[in-house]
Amino acid sequence: MNAGDVSDGAAVPGAGAGRPAMLAGLVALAIVVLLVLVPVLPGTSNATLLTLTLMLTGTGVAINWNLTGGFTGYVDFGHAVWFGIGAYATAILMSLQSNGPQVGWPPVPAIVIGALVAGALAAVVGRATMRLKGPYFSIAMLGTFVAVREIVRVWSPLTGGGVGLTLPPYLNRALFYYVELALVVLLVAFTWWLRRTRFGAALVAIREDEVGAETRGIDTTRLKTAIFSFAGLSTGLFGALWAYQNTFVDPDIAFVEVRTIDAVMGTMLGGLGTVAGPILGAAALYWLREVLWAHLLDYHLLTQGVLLIVIVLFVPRGLVGHLDRRGTSLAELWGLKSPRRRRGPTARADAEGPS
Amino acid sequence: MSYFAQALINGIALGGMYALLVLGFSIIWGVMGVINLAHGEFVMVGAYLAWMASEFWDVDPFVSAPVVFLVMVLFGYAVQRLLVNRVIDRSSLVSLLVMFGVSIILQSIMKIVFSADFRLANTDLDGAWRLTDRLTIPVTRFWVLVVAVGVTAGLSLFLGRSRLGKSIRAAAQNREAARIVGVDVPKVYAVTFALCIGLTGVAGALMSPLLAVQPFQGPPLTLKAFAVTAMAGLGSVRGALGGAMVLGLVEAMLALYVDRIGTNLAVVASFVLLVAALVLRPQGIFKGLRHVDATST
Repeated sequence: MNAGDVSDGAAVPGAGAGRPAMLAGLVALAIVVLLVLVPVLPGTSNATLLTLTLMLTGTGVAINWNLTGGFTGYVDFGHAVWFGIGAYATAILMSLQSNGPQVGWPPVPAIVIGALVAGALAAVVGRATMRLKGPYFSIAMLGTFVAVREIVRVWSPLTGGGVGLTLPPYLNRALFYYVELALVVLLVAFTWWLRRTRFGAALVAIREDEVGAETRGIDTTRLKTAIFSFAGLSTGLFGALWAYQNTFVDPDIAFVEVRTIDAVMGTMLGGLGTVAGPILGAAALYWLREVLWAHLLDYHLLTQGVLLIVIVLFVPRGLVGHLDRRGTSLAELWGLKSPRRRRGPTARADAEGPS
Repeated sequence: MSYFAQALINGIALGGMYALLVLGFSIIWGVMGVINLAHGEFVMVGAYLAWMASEFWDVDPFVSAPVVFLVMVLFGYAVQRLLVNRVIDRSSLVSLLVMFGVSIILQSIMKIVFSADFRLANTDLDGAWRLTDRLTIPVTRFWVLVVAVGVTAGLSLFLGRSRLGKSIRAAAQNREAARIVGVDVPKVYAVTFALCIGLTGVAGALMSPLLAVQPFQGPPLTLKAFAVTAMAGLGSVRGALGGAMVLGLVEAMLALYVDRIGTNLAVVASFVLLVAALVLRPQGIFKGLRHVDATST
């Protein structure tokens, strides 16, 4: 399958327009309206809002992960590192102290800078690691994640070391909820739009056949680094917001493997490289966690591992993909198409590319 | 100067430990094309077995290692039959994710059974030999190095000379051709995986007096195995020994010259080494082995 072939579903302007797309838009709008109303509904406690906010965070990270993992096929096993970096950059800025007076930054610029730091570092790291292919890239990112956590733990003058940093508290759950909801909605819109641009088509072309894409004149290095940096920046933003909301960071709660695992699993459960996939998957995952795992805390990681294997072996195309294949038009209803080919983007184990 | 010599000794001793750690990972990758992300967890299980032997029956890890080997061979065979067999033909992402799932499962089982407390096994081969006032040889590590060199030589012979070893190499080099000349490829894969997991368990057992045994010790070990393998060439037995020595020496020198580096930051070192090696020499440093002819020893 060559690049031009792939792009026809995704890049042709107006693809998916018409009644199904309108319906999908209406469904999406209804969900958003419902979510907007949640905080003002009677009986919504702060705890519920916090859970929903964390769910939105997870969804956002999954969408970002999908940008590199799903679209370009670069499966990132260390994506949560940008979350931690965003969180730490913000925490450092907000808890700055000189002798005597508190000189910590106000939240908004601190959060913006936090996200930018994550994005900038993602650009630097991405330039190196995205030269690697397939599993080499995956493990290099896992290494980045572990390495950065240890650096943060050791660099105590700046990061507070293992003790962590405390931020000035600000307890307005509804505000955080709305900000994250807005961010997720923007991200979904961005992904949806991306699928319809040349840029998005080029990203999918990289996944399907990177060398082919290059020979067709696509500057693959620039594009994949760009989307990787954007994903890093965006996940860093969620991390920055999380740090402020949590009012405390330390290496072991800011850099958590589970955040990457959740993003990978959510996206795979929903459908790699689709717009609705990560949302559906992350929501399903968080629902599972709330309903099932609340009662079996010790077995949480265990069930997650089993679930991961089950998904990979038995639902490799994800929920969206399976609905699509059965001829139910739900996938089209959402104005998207799942990848038609079985995932083969990282099938090559050679780091050197074809010889 | 004597500090430098001591760091050299420490580095070589550490390298021996890493060689034992890396071999199983390297051969599985080279022969089957499966990146065993649960590698560190198999080490951890082996370490727990040796720790139990030491704690409950007072058996030295160096004595219990052969038993650990057998138990882990059976365990590896079961995992291969149950899971790995299903993913060998699929894209490497699939096997990567499945083995990742296995690693999470093993971590959580061990945490439920043993809690997250740090444990160390006891061995009689401990202490240090004094060479001069300032120069010592850590005894446990010395014997681990001896075992590692022995295992490396044994594996080289096994893969190079024995019939089974030759079929393993054949299956790695060209699966179809191997099948045509009568190699039972699925069986070879099963045996390879089982043997390598056994070996990995032994690595864990021998490391149990040296490295805190705990449910989450695996991931850094997997990363190191990956770094060494990627540097040394997939499935290359001697490359694994050489790469492990490089990593051990780098870590020991860093510990000597950099303040506060500690064992955790050593992961950073091996990672930087890994990315640098991959970006500069994606085909491996020691030999230009490619994936398909990965086990020429």
